[in-house]
Amino acid sequence: MASSSVFLVMVSGQIESAEFPEFDEIYLRYNLHYGQDWLVTSGLEEGISQVAKKSQDDRQQIVWNFPIDVTFKSTNPHGWPQLVVHCYGSDFWGTEVSRGYGVCHIPITPGKHKLKIPMFVPESSSLLQKFTSWFLSRRPEYVDARVIARGEGREVTRVRSQGFVNISFNVIMKDMKKLGYDVLPSDVSTVNVPENVGTTATEA
Amino acid sequence: MAEVHIIGQIYGATGFPEHSLFCKWGIHTGGAWKILAGEREGQSQVDNPVNHEAAFFAHPIDIHFATKGLQGWPKLHFQVWHQDSFGRNELYGYGFCHVPTSPGQHTIECPTWRPSGTYREQVTQSFLGGGPQLKNPDLIYSSALRCKLTTVAMGTVHLKLGVILRNFDKFGIEC
Repeated sequence: MASSSVFLVMVSGQIESAEFPEFDEIYLRYNLHYGQDWLVTSGLEEGISQVAKKSQDDRQQIVWNFPIDVTFKSTNPHGWPQLVVHCYGSDFWGTEVSRGYGVCHIPITPGKHKLKIPMFVPESSSLLQKFTSWFLSRRPEYVDARVIARGEGREVTRVRSQGFVNISFNVIMKDMKKLGYDVLPSDVSTVNVPENVGTTATEA
Repeated sequence: MAEVHIIGQIYGATGFPEHSLFCKWGIHTGGAWKILAGEREGQSQVDNPVNHEAAFFAHPIDIHFATKGLQGWPKLHFQVWHQDSFGRNELYGYGFCHVPTSPGQHTIECPTWRPSGTYREQVTQSFLGGGPQLKNPDLIYSSALRCKLTTVAMGTVHLKLGVILRNFDKFGIEC
């Protein structure tokens, strides 16, 4: 009886590729941000990908094919996990600079999902700061990338959005329905399937 | 008690005349609803897209409600503002949408409008910015005094919302 107060969410997927028209080489770091009621039972909460170069053909794609495999356990859907992606690249002087932050929720319905998340980078407050940050290769960055997974404090930031990252997820859940949670419309109403479905009904 | 979780993002906005937009959002419910966790309102970052037309906010929404009744189902309301390079803010649109009543993942496009003034005010607005704003923001999501307004259409706010319901079938509710 006590065992079914938690539900499990298993996420497997990959950060597939990105579209950044202006940059040629990008690597990314991902982080998972979740609420206090959640716990990672298996899998890695963060990771760093390889450095991927843009393809020279018409597609202009940057491909990572970077796996994500995490299982969460929780008692409460509040604080549903979010994937925070932070992309880095080399600038003109060869230093690593931040090329974009992006965030998305892990999908709340089981099944296969494909998402395209926009990437944005914080903007310097003044023209002089923009020039010095370009010159010294010290672009504005968030102290902790997970700040973008929260809503507070976002109103004072100015960002520039550039590029997208394509992510695909496969989500499995266990015991959500046992605890009373409905994540799909068909869960809520119980369908009465009649006994004789499919048999020849010849009673006229 | 039945519970509703709203988990998603204000994804972005399209169709507005200028870039450099931010979005103030809030959620309004009836008396039977109580917030158990999460923020009831917020303001997104100011986004200035580099090489595409849409502004992206990616502002997370994660709210947990408990309710004793269906009346006053939550409504999300928005105000889209434009911030120019000098830091001045100009209203670009009001909009609202109901949180979807069925569980699952939803993509919502919420149209926005802004009050339009007299012809003279419109000419001043095109030169100086500004323009009429609502004194009482409740009008964004209520129908009471709308007949007194004249408005003009602005862009669209895009949302990706996930809704999780709990115990609704125990109370016999079909959604």
